[in-house]
Amino acid sequence: MSNPLLIFWAQLFGRRGPVNRVVSRAHIESSSQASSTIFLVMRRMRAPLIILIVIFSISVLGLTLIPGIDPSGQPVRLSIFESFYFMSYTATTIGFGELPWPFTPGQRLWVTFSIYLSVVGWAYAIGSLLTLIQDRSFRQALALRRFTSKVARLREPFLLVAGYGRAGELLAKAFDELGQQLVVIDESSDRVDAIELGSFHADIPGLAADAANPHHLSAAGLDHPFCAGVLALTNDDETNLAVTMTAALLRPDLPVVSRTISAQIAERMHAFGTPAVVNPFDRFGEHLRLVLNAPASYQLLVWLEAGPGAGLPDRGRPPTDGRWVMCGYGRFGREVTADLRAAGLEVTIIEPAELGESEPGVIVGDASDSEVLARADLASAVGLVAGTDNDTTNLSMLTAARRLNPQLFLAARQNRPTSAALFEAMRVDALLVPTEVVAHEVYAQISTPMLWRFIQEMPARGDQWAADLIQQLRHNCGRELPALWKVRLDLEQAPALGGWLGEGKVVLGDLLRSPEDRERRLRVVPLLLLRDGTAVLTPDGETVLARNDELLFAGHGSERRELESTLVVDSTGAYVLFGQHIPSSWVWRKLSRKKPTPSTVGDRGGTSTRP
Amino acid sequence: MNLEKVIFGFFVLLAATLNFGFFIGDIGNPAVHNIYELFAALAVSLVATVLKFGDRTQIGAVHLATSLVADLQLVAASVVWIWAEEISADGLTTVSTASVVSLSGGALLANLVSVVLLVTETVTFHRG
Repeated sequence: MSNPLLIFWAQLFGRRGPVNRVVSRAHIESSSQASSTIFLVMRRMRAPLIILIVIFSISVLGLTLIPGIDPSGQPVRLSIFESFYFMSYTATTIGFGELPWPFTPGQRLWVTFSIYLSVVGWAYAIGSLLTLIQDRSFRQALALRRFTSKVARLREPFLLVAGYGRAGELLAKAFDELGQQLVVIDESSDRVDAIELGSFHADIPGLAADAANPHHLSAAGLDHPFCAGVLALTNDDETNLAVTMTAALLRPDLPVVSRTISAQIAERMHAFGTPAVVNPFDRFGEHLRLVLNAPASYQLLVWLEAGPGAGLPDRGRPPTDGRWVMCGYGRFGREVTADLRAAGLEVTIIEPAELGESEPGVIVGDASDSEVLARADLASAVGLVAGTDNDTTNLSMLTAARRLNPQLFLAARQNRPTSAALFEAMRVDALLVPTEVVAHEVYAQISTPMLWRFIQEMPARGDQWAADLIQQLRHNCGRELPALWKVRLDLEQAPALGGWLGEGKVVLGDLLRSPEDRERRLRVVPLLLLRDGTAVLTPDGETVLARNDELLFAGHGSERRELESTLVVDSTGAYVLFGQHIPSSWVWRKLSRKKPTPSTVGDRGGTSTRP
Repeated sequence: MNLEKVIFGFFVLLAATLNFGFFIGDIGNPAVHNIYELFAALAVSLVATVLKFGDRTQIGAVHLATSLVADLQLVAASVVWIWAEEISADGLTTVSTASVVSLSGGALLANLVSVVLLVTETVTFHRG
């Protein structure tokens, strides 16, 4: 490289490595389907256009060949241009009259003939065009085209959501609140239209197509460099499996979250990479177990999973010993029964169909029949789970059970979103809405990985701890769940703390003082401290922070901005941490030459409000 | 035998032959260039263009491109002729005839390419 220009060139552009290289192993051509339809449309327009050209040529030619008479009585013919002009305004029904001179009867005969001919030609051409525009496959091709280019233009990380049912809609709302871009693909065009109607901040591209088709997934941005994750949330387990498979094979680097209600399908999903599988029935059973053992932990879990702005749910007080009645022993019933039995509870099962294997305490019969319910001896039971896949049956069961024993703890499964008002009116103690469970679970896993870590470690800390934390959150942030956000103490997010972190002088309690008055504590609750892969839940004010620590906070936006100014602005940081005023400009700092030190160690923790 | 291929070949060839018929002769002499031939060449060339719509192959794309070039040249020739005949005071002079004919000569070249493509396609077609 003796040429200085080449060296310059290499300096400028040589280091440009593949920053965001997609590790896709196979690229799928998705636009070919769209363009093939457009070619088909062009092909179908051939016949009308040719007929139009032929009709025009014949009419124009005929008109030039028929002799006319000019005002002086001389025979004269129309030129080709004049007859083309005449035919143009006649065929398009504009009709300026006979130009340049009145026609002879022979010319009029020909014009009459060509008028009918050209009207038929135009009608055919325009009719075919309109038919084509309304053609379903053509419109789908256009929609796919528009969608593909919209996705290709995305320049921010986005999540690919397959299935925009109830769960998808809830998730889309929650992620839209967080400012996370989404791309949606759903089989039903009604659901895709619902995206347009839903008032989202971002413009969410939606495609009505089968998500199990890899071409459609590719069009939805599976091999896009900014694709940040795939969520398979359709109602159909097979489709979810297909989406999981496609994502795992084409983009093994992407996180995949998949929904299923079948353990077998979950097994098959796990065969492809490491997708996070969400089984709402399974989760409900676990939740029921948690609510039996630790109601406060369950309350905290539900609150955190519900997303920002959610109100504090009521703390249920289920009976912890006694006999439960399980109505409906399908997939859901089995999961919940197993969980209840694991919690050491006795369970009586009511199931309309004869069970293959002999299970203890099974009553065969229709549970909405009050005689069958009476056989289950509800008076001595403590709880009832209405778990069939029919909302009407579940509701009538609940009413009958409450009449027989008003003290029963009632748990129910809601299948259709339209039944929500009815279950609300029934005032059941625990309600499973499978789609909401899926939405909350996926939200917790995807929104911040630290929240998921927190939720996983939380049950081990016990019920009293959870009750204290809820108290603390309510005291600091009110009854509505504040935004959760994370901070990484590195040079990018916390430049002001730079040197002090390495010296071990930064204490969490000091960091959470207000920049306006350091005697006041910020209304921020630290939920989780992550250091080298180990997690500390609710670190206390004495915790010494180190570089690259990750913290998960709960608190309102205004408090968050105050904390950020502490982390970013040197002088604010010095005041908040050590109560020292250092000049904020470089010149004055050089002149004063005073290095801030933690001289106020004595009053550390004085404002800590740990309960 | 494929009727579609027959019609396609017919129109492509007819466009070229009509164009050639109009073009041949002394370039400046209006007497040897029949205006009806130009009209027919333009009409047939338009039909040939529409026939080439919707072919996804590479050779189909080149076919369509040559036809579009021929159309453009022939339309330009017609406009020059209309200008000379109807608008300009001098009528159809040697100069204007020469420009009409030379424009149609350009179209002829495009039509010849079209014919060459047609022949190539036929020769490389092995199925018999």
